[in-house]
Amino acid sequence: MNRHISEQFDEELQSARQLMMEMGGLLEQQLSNARDALFSQQSEKAMHVIETEKRINGLEKELDEHCIQIIARRQPAASDLRMMISVLRASSDLERIGDEAKRIARTALKIANQALPDDRYAEIESLMTGVEAMVARALDAFARSDVDSALANIAADADIDRRYKTITERLVQDMQRHPDTLDLSMSMIWVARALERIGDHAKNICEYVVYLARGEDVRHTRNPTANN
Amino acid sequence: MTTSNGGAADTSSIQDQSTSLKVLDWSLYYGASQALKSISLDIPQRKVTAFIGPSGCGKSTLLRCFNRMNDLIDDVSVDGHILLEGQDIHAPEVNVAQLRRRVGMVFQRPNPFPKSIFENVAYGLRIQGGVPRGELEDRVEWSLKMAALWDEVKDRLKESALGLSGGQQQRLVIARAVAVQPSVLLLDEPASALDPISTLKIEELIHQLKDNYTIVIVTHNMQQAARVSDLTAFLYLGELIEFAATEQIFTNPSKKRTEDYITGRYG
Amino acid sequence: MATRKTSGLRSWLRSGEPWVWMNAAAVGTSILAVIGLVGLIAWNGLAHFWPHAIVQLETGTADNPVILLGELVDTDTTERLQYEEATGDGALPEAQTTVTRVLLKTGNRRTAPPDFRWVYDHRINRISQPVDAIVIERTEWGNAYGFLESVRDGDRTVTGVKAQEALARAIDFAEELRENIRDLQQAELQRVNAGIEALRLEDRRIALSDRSPTDKQSAHADVAQRRAALEATYATLERELREHINRFQGHEITLRRADGETEVIPLANIVRTWQPNAMSLAGKLGHYLSSVWLFLSEDPREANTEGGIFPALFGTVMMVLLMSLLVTPFGVIAAIYLREYAHQGAFVRLIRIAVNNLAGVPSIVYGVFGLGFFVYFVGAGIDQLLFPEALPAPTFGTPGLLWASLTLALLTVPVVVVSTEEGLTRIPRSVREGSLALGATKAETLFRVILPMASPAILTGVILAVARAAGEVAPLMLVGVVKLAPTLPVDGLFPFLHLDRKFMHLGFHIYDVGFQSPNVEAARPLVYATTLLLLTIILLLNLTAILLRNRLEQRYRGVEG
Repeated sequence: MNRHISEQFDEELQSARQLMMEMGGLLEQQLSNARDALFSQQSEKAMHVIETEKRINGLEKELDEHCIQIIARRQPAASDLRMMISVLRASSDLERIGDEAKRIARTALKIANQALPDDRYAEIESLMTGVEAMVARALDAFARSDVDSALANIAADADIDRRYKTITERLVQDMQRHPDTLDLSMSMIWVARALERIGDHAKNICEYVVYLARGEDVRHTRNPTANN
Repeated sequence: MTTSNGGAADTSSIQDQSTSLKVLDWSLYYGASQALKSISLDIPQRKVTAFIGPSGCGKSTLLRCFNRMNDLIDDVSVDGHILLEGQDIHAPEVNVAQLRRRVGMVFQRPNPFPKSIFENVAYGLRIQGGVPRGELEDRVEWSLKMAALWDEVKDRLKESALGLSGGQQQRLVIARAVAVQPSVLLLDEPASALDPISTLKIEELIHQLKDNYTIVIVTHNMQQAARVSDLTAFLYLGELIEFAATEQIFTNPSKKRTEDYITGRYG
Repeated sequence: MATRKTSGLRSWLRSGEPWVWMNAAAVGTSILAVIGLVGLIAWNGLAHFWPHAIVQLETGTADNPVILLGELVDTDTTERLQYEEATGDGALPEAQTTVTRVLLKTGNRRTAPPDFRWVYDHRINRISQPVDAIVIERTEWGNAYGFLESVRDGDRTVTGVKAQEALARAIDFAEELRENIRDLQQAELQRVNAGIEALRLEDRRIALSDRSPTDKQSAHADVAQRRAALEATYATLERELREHINRFQGHEITLRRADGETEVIPLANIVRTWQPNAMSLAGKLGHYLSSVWLFLSEDPREANTEGGIFPALFGTVMMVLLMSLLVTPFGVIAAIYLREYAHQGAFVRLIRIAVNNLAGVPSIVYGVFGLGFFVYFVGAGIDQLLFPEALPAPTFGTPGLLWASLTLALLTVPVVVVSTEEGLTRIPRSVREGSLALGATKAETLFRVILPMASPAILTGVILAVARAAGEVAPLMLVGVVKLAPTLPVDGLFPFLHLDRKFMHLGFHIYDVGFQSPNVEAARPLVYATTLLLLTIILLLNLTAILLRNRLEQRYRGVEG
């Protein structure tokens, strides 16, 4: 993409994108910390996640403010307009991801004194790794306006949803089988649900990437293709 | 959508509407230099079509072809066809004065004649002749109402038009053009000399006029094109780069040149 | 301190202030010069009509007294030496170094010449203003000064106190009679004369035509018959005229001159009389106004040194109006072609340069051109074509009003062209396009929008043209102006406006009165008065046009740009 005639405009857009990437980077950290807190039972990491969430909220507000300023002053059109819309929407999705990460960290704190039966939650851990990777790919696709990667990620969300379904079914069965760990299973259902939502948010971000690059709205489309 | 002459494919959404002005392979030369390069596009009836593009891109030149104002310039030669409601306006049997009555024009700067408000609006009718006095008054009133100026000037029709403000003058000029009941109204940067409020009034007027007229507007102000037009054509160095529905041009243009121009990038 | 002062001066010089002062001084000087000139002309011109007091001077020696009666016109002072050399008079008192003399207008040119005399102050023994001194303005021989002795009113002779009243009655009678005579001469006799001339030309035309001899004969006979009838009318009218003139017989005034002699002045010669020494201020003012009116409305007399200047005034205005009428359409059309229609190339540029240069050609060259081209070529051609019966006497083939107006129109056409072109250029393109875009043709645009908007500029051109034309004299002398025209270019005879007639012009009148007059002293105030009138005419013509232009400008203000 060529540079704008107004260098100032270029810088403003650049800083919006940077803010978003900073937010994204922070979130990846949050997710990995939350995972550690949950599965390695590191309470201090959980505390850290809860603490950092405030920074993410601050970043979201800052990013929104920045985008509104650009829209009001520059009246961006075409790709610039799409960029602003995408960033604005993505920032809210990112913030929600942050919320979910905090929720997971809270859960981790709650169950910190309970021993985890190793065999039962390996699937959740792998789901979490998958979701983390999806968020990372979504941010990467956004940074590079990579439609193909974004579309692949959107497709990947279906897999996450399927795995979530299986996990919840298993956990419900668990609850019936091991009433003693009912509390733990309940918590794990919440964790799985949070992960599913994070996957949805990542998918949303990928949809914005398609809109950003192509100007097409692929939300609520059954089968977005690589080339229309 | 991949050919440079892409207007036809892009107008798929408007092809069901009848065409007012049909430009076919139109070229224009100032002496040896080519100002318009085989442009083809269909301007639909009762819609606002905006021409945008950088200075010197030929948008005003193209607009002035529609009422043959370029005839006034020496050393201009043309090639191709422009059909107004199916009739070639450059055909030898066409009476230019009559053509201009069918294709009205409003210019960049308000250019009222140094006559009274009434006489300004009646000018075209008087030239035409054969309009009885009573009807003349009715037509003047009707035109001023069309131009949303009647309430402001109805008590001072006999006063000089030069006493009006710039925005009022421009609306007067629009009333003057409307008075001869053209089918097409060409607006050549009609608000570029006006303050923002007057500009908005003109834009509002354009919006109202499109119920009755085919409007073609040239503007430097992209936001204005975005606000008032249904279709937008982007011209660059005498070529028609892109012609499509305005919402598409301003959110997702298909040509990189259009994109660069609209977002304010180096082309 | 001294250096600071110089640096102060230097910075003052550098500030540009002196330049402003210099400009202001130049403008001030010009204004003063103009005011001075106009003031001098106005004073001398206007003072002429004032009824000056009549003084009686007693001079000469005791045994040979000379008594002079007249108006004091001028005084002047000379050095004693010059005086002694000029007169050989050595009897001046020792102390006197200068000698003053006065110029007395004594009138009575025929009976007691000269009519202007210089009298040395020291030779005047007695000076008085006799109340009953009277001035008689005559149609011949200028003014008479003296004392009313008697008035002969047909058979009666009235003397003494009653003579005043009788004089007033006699003047009224003379005025009435003169009016009758004028009517008879101008209206009736002139018409009959013109009819006889027309018949002569018709006779000639018949002779020149290719009709059969018998046809011609009958036509000739017809003309002769009509001519005889007219000649009979003429004879009657002439008789009537003579009767009128005869009624003056026995009416005369006896005047006693200052030298004691009496002089009889026939009433027919008297224009008016007045007794300035007996007049009140109001009376003098009334006399003044009537003098000015007579100056403006009367024909000149006595080789232009007496009477009025009406024919010159009329001729000047007529010529200028005719010139404007010719030059305006001509110049405007030329300018429109150059600016609106012609292809703006080298050729048009060349024409423009030529037009501009025409303005610099000396006016006498135009006169020569007018004489050669208009009078001798075009005029002679017109005579050949339209007035062959009058030849060899030329009709249009001789200098006249039309040719003078045309020559001046040619002289001033560059001004109109340049000014109009400028006006056309100033009209914004957007206005033209606005009109064209409404379906107006180029000609419609021109007549309905462009020309009205350019009208102030056109009028400016006409103003400049009028200003130049009204002051031109040199070319006119060649193409139509004469020192004395027998008739006005406009009268009651068909076709009412006689473009072929010669006419009088104020500018030429000034030259003629001032430099060709046999009576320099009498003519001098007339030169001033005529000059003042010419200036006033030019001013009025300009003022009218300027007011008109300003009104138009008002209307079209704010269209520029």
